[in-house]
Amino acid sequence: MRLTRRGLLAGAGASALGAAGIYELVDRLTEAPRRAHVFTRPREQHLLQGLRVVDDDGVEVLVPPLHHQVVTARVSVRDSPRALREARLAFEQALVTLERRFEPTPAGLGLTVAWGLPYFERFVPAPAQRYLPVDHRASKGRFRPVRAVVDAIRFPSDPDATVLERNDLAVLLRSDKREHVAEGARALFDAVGGLFELTSVRKGFAGGGFEGGRSLPKLMALAAGVPGAELVPESAQLFLGFTSTQRAGMGPARIANLETLGLSDGGPGGYFAGGTTMHLSHLFEDLEAWYVDFDHDQRVETTFRPALRVARARLTVRQDPEDVVTIAGNVADYRRHGTIGHSASIMPSSRLQHDVEGADGNLYRKGTAIPLRADFNTLDNPFFWSADPERDGQADGPAAGLHFASFNPTSDDFHRNRLAMDGRLPDGTRLEFEPRARGQGLNSVLRTTHRQNFLVPPRRRRSFPLSELL
Amino acid sequence: MKTSLALVSLALLAALTGGCGGDARQSAAAKASGPACPKAWRVGWQRLANRIDAPVYCPSWVPSPLTAELEGEWNTVNSVDPDRSYLVGFAWQERSEEVHVNFRGYPGRTRVPTCLDVQTGAGKVRRRPVPCFSDARGVKRAGGVVATVYTVNRDADMWHVLYAWRRQGTLYTLSEHIAPPLTYARVVQNLDRMLRGLVLLEPRS
Repeated sequence: MRLTRRGLLAGAGASALGAAGIYELVDRLTEAPRRAHVFTRPREQHLLQGLRVVDDDGVEVLVPPLHHQVVTARVSVRDSPRALREARLAFEQALVTLERRFEPTPAGLGLTVAWGLPYFERFVPAPAQRYLPVDHRASKGRFRPVRAVVDAIRFPSDPDATVLERNDLAVLLRSDKREHVAEGARALFDAVGGLFELTSVRKGFAGGGFEGGRSLPKLMALAAGVPGAELVPESAQLFLGFTSTQRAGMGPARIANLETLGLSDGGPGGYFAGGTTMHLSHLFEDLEAWYVDFDHDQRVETTFRPALRVARARLTVRQDPEDVVTIAGNVADYRRHGTIGHSASIMPSSRLQHDVEGADGNLYRKGTAIPLRADFNTLDNPFFWSADPERDGQADGPAAGLHFASFNPTSDDFHRNRLAMDGRLPDGTRLEFEPRARGQGLNSVLRTTHRQNFLVPPRRRRSFPLSELL
Repeated sequence: MKTSLALVSLALLAALTGGCGGDARQSAAAKASGPACPKAWRVGWQRLANRIDAPVYCPSWVPSPLTAELEGEWNTVNSVDPDRSYLVGFAWQERSEEVHVNFRGYPGRTRVPTCLDVQTGAGKVRRRPVPCFSDARGVKRAGGVVATVYTVNRDADMWHVLYAWRRQGTLYTLSEHIAPPLTYARVVQNLDRMLRGLVLLEPRS
């Protein structure tokens, strides 16, 4: 039998789905946290159940799953209603089988299926024209209809080389158990033959030293021998040191749904109600620059806010509603110090500016966080596996980085947050910085390699959305 | 007879390798007899001690390809301020790679000096006094020296890992730049080896 390049790639990609690589160490270096058992599944597939909350330095912190994996792919079924219907049924069957096997918590397996605009444009253009939800706020601001999910852009601090991806779909798999992630990935992309052509496999981990001892990022960085590993604090949740999963800094419950805050709706008939958007990116982190060029006070100021003082041993910093920094506060910081903090600069767009009664009936108080982040440390360079190593800049050896996944009600909502990181505040105020200038928060030590926006349908529409309308 | 022959050959070896960094035989010789300031380097370091009228530490090893010969090929800085504090630097640069070490001494002072942190933003240049050496990360002990490790440093020691210690009312430092081909871990290895090999030279009138 003659092996084609495509066949070889498919084989390599399939192997990567379940391969452990350096991440095998995660299970050797740490134990899975205790988790509550939850068996009910909300209609939102982006909400992970059973997340444990611990107290760290008097701050409530969510304990994320240990293992994370993102698989991106192109749909490879024929462009016909019948083929798409069969694909929808087969993929949904695979998802349901996994759901029967694993509870929807980190002890089991969290599954989120997200679809990129290329899928909607190529396979379901007519229904997409009608059903893709609109972002009301962005439409009003631009005097034309803007969809809730739009193409990713390069932000002012992004390098020109940042790849704006065009994947048809991305699946996020999360669990404390690596074998659950591997089994899930194989079931969706290997066992269900012929539906997808893999484009990348991305892996990583999370886990702070909240219960004492060395944290996973510290241990993994040392084991991988990445430059600057010795400088990562002993109990750091992320390579850059500070905790990022403060409960008050993560969007609660359904706030990131398309419809909850009224930024969008679910589209006609509420087709996508209960869904959200996901931004997925990868960025490299220059640990040596972070720990050698910034002293502790400067790292605090850069991560949080200028002039903020935090004890040296403290890595978890309160981010409650009363700590929210306004646009005026950021402008004052900029004028006085010439710098902005990463967290402070985002707050005018990432936190509610007033109380909002959500479409879900909940009252969301002023200062509540909107995005629900699912970012994780990685040693991928930049991916665990790529179908296009040249385009993706695939390199040998581990590299410290972050696979950033964030659920926001709309893509524009994410863009507003990310632009604020670059000093472009949501009211139009521009705080001028050179790209990746030191004063521009964390950007000077980050280098984004890839970006894409996705639409995350509600659970019942997650498999080949809109194809049933053809 | 055999012993004295061995000593002679060791001395000869040391003389031959004096001025060459990173030689295993030199290291073996140093282990046998304690660190020695290579003859080719000693002249300059002794002259420095005499000039500031205070002891200085002469290295017995510096990372390849450097030598620690004052006014030698790699000596890029050799300055003494009016307060007798000194900065001696050795650097090699090629394409985007660099090996760079600094030695400092502050006779009569033990406090960490103050530097100016200069940041430009919002159309202004802001200067604020900050410690020249900060983010202490533990101590290293070797040859009677207890050195504090600083990872965030300024001015000529920016992007260096720096070891600082006090002796009889004087602050001394030793630092190396973290730059390709060297990582933080390798720089620390180099600094540890340099620290172990320091030789105190007293001033001679």
